[in-house]
Amino acid sequence: MGYQEAAHEDTFRAGRALGLNHLKLGMWLFLGSEVMFFGGLIAAFLHYKVNNPTPETGLLDVGLVGLNTFVLLASSLTVVSALAAIERGDTAAMNLYLLVTIGLGTAFLGGQGYEFVSLYRDGLTLSSSVFGSSFFTLTGFHGMHVLVGVLWALSTFVRGMGGAYSRNDHLGVEVFGLYWHFVDVVWIVLFTVIYLI
Amino acid sequence: MRSLVSRLRQPAPSWLRYFRWNTDHKVIGVQYLVTSFFFFLVGGALAMVVRTELLQPGVDVLNGTQYNRVMTNHGSLMIFLWVIPVLAGFGNYFVPLMIGARDMAFPRMNALSYWLIPPGGLLMIASFFIGAAESGWTAYVPLSIRAPDGQTLWALSVIVLGTSSILGAINFVTTIITMRAEGMTMWRMPLFVWGILATAIITLTATPVLAAGLILVAFDRLVGTQFFAVAGGGNPVLWQNLFWFYSHPAVYIMILPGMGIISEVFPVFSRKPIFGYRMIALSSLAIAVLGMTVWAHHMFTSGMDPRQRIPFMVSSMVIAVPTGVKIFSWLATIWNGKLRFTTPMLFAMGFISQFLIGGLTGIFLAAIPVDLHVHDTYFVVAHLHFVLFGGSVSAIYAGLYYWYPKITGRMYDERVGQAHFWMNFVGMGLTYLPMFLAGLLGMPRRVADYDPMFLVPNQLASFGGFLLGISVLPFLYNAVISLLHGKPAGANPWRGLTMEWQTSSPPPDHNFDEPPVVSHGPYDYGEGHLVSPEAVPASAAGE
Amino acid sequence: MESPAPTASRRPLSYAAVFLVLAVITGIELGVKGLGLPRAATNVLFLLLSLGKASLVAAFYMHLRRDNRIYTAVFVLPVILFVVFALATIVI
Repeated sequence: MGYQEAAHEDTFRAGRALGLNHLKLGMWLFLGSEVMFFGGLIAAFLHYKVNNPTPETGLLDVGLVGLNTFVLLASSLTVVSALAAIERGDTAAMNLYLLVTIGLGTAFLGGQGYEFVSLYRDGLTLSSSVFGSSFFTLTGFHGMHVLVGVLWALSTFVRGMGGAYSRNDHLGVEVFGLYWHFVDVVWIVLFTVIYLI
Repeated sequence: MRSLVSRLRQPAPSWLRYFRWNTDHKVIGVQYLVTSFFFFLVGGALAMVVRTELLQPGVDVLNGTQYNRVMTNHGSLMIFLWVIPVLAGFGNYFVPLMIGARDMAFPRMNALSYWLIPPGGLLMIASFFIGAAESGWTAYVPLSIRAPDGQTLWALSVIVLGTSSILGAINFVTTIITMRAEGMTMWRMPLFVWGILATAIITLTATPVLAAGLILVAFDRLVGTQFFAVAGGGNPVLWQNLFWFYSHPAVYIMILPGMGIISEVFPVFSRKPIFGYRMIALSSLAIAVLGMTVWAHHMFTSGMDPRQRIPFMVSSMVIAVPTGVKIFSWLATIWNGKLRFTTPMLFAMGFISQFLIGGLTGIFLAAIPVDLHVHDTYFVVAHLHFVLFGGSVSAIYAGLYYWYPKITGRMYDERVGQAHFWMNFVGMGLTYLPMFLAGLLGMPRRVADYDPMFLVPNQLASFGGFLLGISVLPFLYNAVISLLHGKPAGANPWRGLTMEWQTSSPPPDHNFDEPPVVSHGPYDYGEGHLVSPEAVPASAAGE
Repeated sequence: MESPAPTASRRPLSYAAVFLVLAVITGIELGVKGLGLPRAATNVLFLLLSLGKASLVAAFYMHLRRDNRIYTAVFVLPVILFVVFALATIVI
């Protein structure tokens, strides 16, 4: 009859011919823009780290944050395991992995919160110095992204428990995973740039 | 015939849908076009205030602070609420049609992109009531940190509008890559679509950096961070670096879709294929990539790292090459063509001459020794208005006239359109040519008062400016009266070959009755069998 | 459609192996940091190691290795641009 009644699959013909899914492409494009957003903040942080070195760097607890890094890396393992589970059709395992992810993400946020409070007690604040400003802004925005990720994980978990995903239909889990892993990749860069070098 | 029958079955869509959440890309496109034109008028009114103040030396109409607020918001409105969104509006309406798609890839996100514009605009205008932004659209620190509260609203407004842009860009790239009709290879896409694709790539990579910088400014203002506080160790040049990394590519965001429109208009009104289709398409991508490497040419006098100045000068000159490729291709397109001087064609030709002046003076500015003398003078003001007004706005008007029949189903009045063009063209020259002279003589920009030696260029510019202001009236009159009483346009009044003309005017909700299958390029004029079956056999409009 | 038959890189065991490598690298980083060696050398090491970790996550957990190269380009090109921008910003 009319084009509007044609099979929905025809809409993304060109993408399928290229081997691309429009939702995945959209997420990757978004992540590309997020690279530039964090890039701006990281560039500002590095500008001051290099040009305004400060002994305040010594206040950072590399060991504690190193532990937190393990936690976030582990959460990437649980997220990809959740995806692998639903690719096999194992909904129960997927939901369990998502639950653990939520726990690990929350633990990471807890660790960050503890670190922030300790630093504030030591006198390093958003406004105490250029280092404080750039440190808290950069790690704060990363933390906000983790929080969004935890909420998204929760939403994915709830939908998973409701039977939204299956062996043949789990794109939402994969797209969530891309976001989560990206936030982990950003942390890998932040950990190096803030705590190691 | 089919679409007429299916339309008879449904009630006519209500005009109220333009005021509501609607995911149809054509509705969203019109929402963008009308909303941004409104902000064009507001920004233009502010320009009239500026030119009134500058008619005479001395701070007579406004005080210095008021002047700073007026000029800041003039620039900010024109860039963030007029040129960028209106071109997104054209993209929204025409990209799906031109590639034979039913809508954009993410229709709800598309609606969200539009609905971020009115709050963003309101935030910027609201700032006038609590002490408006007054640091220029470039918001250099420390002035933007110390400016009154309106500056914070300004920063928030730009963040909101930038978010809208980024979401739109994700939509455009995904749509263009994944939703082209069968037979529509990348090399058969209309050049307007290539322009939007290149623009979206720039938007995705540049805009987030501005967001980051604006957040730093907002934090300095609101929570006491020290990013740009010199006493606290902050570096004002860091702001300039973050700002210009976006704002230079922003000028390509503002011109590439417009150049795409010019590439549509010239072949149709010359009845000739476009010359150098692939070179024009590739040059858009080249400008997108090169455009990310030139930003610090705005900072030559800032005290920036001296080692980086020459590399930025070189890249800024290199970018003239792909631009030149386009200009020569367009000239070769109209050469020996069967020209029809319709209003869109006139604006396209005006675009060439005016953008050329703007572009060439841009190369002058890229030369560091020249820039050291004319940076922040009226030479720059003249340059930017030739590229943005003579360039972008000419292209926008060309698009508005060209696509008016498609969007409304009516023809505009050609004579009123021609009057608009000539008033605009003369006004442009009168307003901005004298500014080159004023700048070379040393008149600084962003001043409410000036030495009497600059009186004559300023008077000429003010008279030209008032002419430009009045020139909008025939356009508004034409747009409204033609909507009510214009001759029905039919599907393809211009006998164009691109796909938006192969469906009714305006298109049905679902765009095409059958999924289109493409078998030829978009500009294969002169091949008789390709003329659309819906083409009017008698002389086409404009002949 | 998008999901081919399971390949080696998608078995749960290889995800765990990748995690192990990530953990070991992080352990090395913390260890080297604690040693207090000259910063010029350790900085280069840390940057290279973190590039390695990020690449592992992107290639195996984000499936860039098995997926269409266009996704990789969409991610990598901004990364390159960011590096250029960061270098310019550090010395600006």
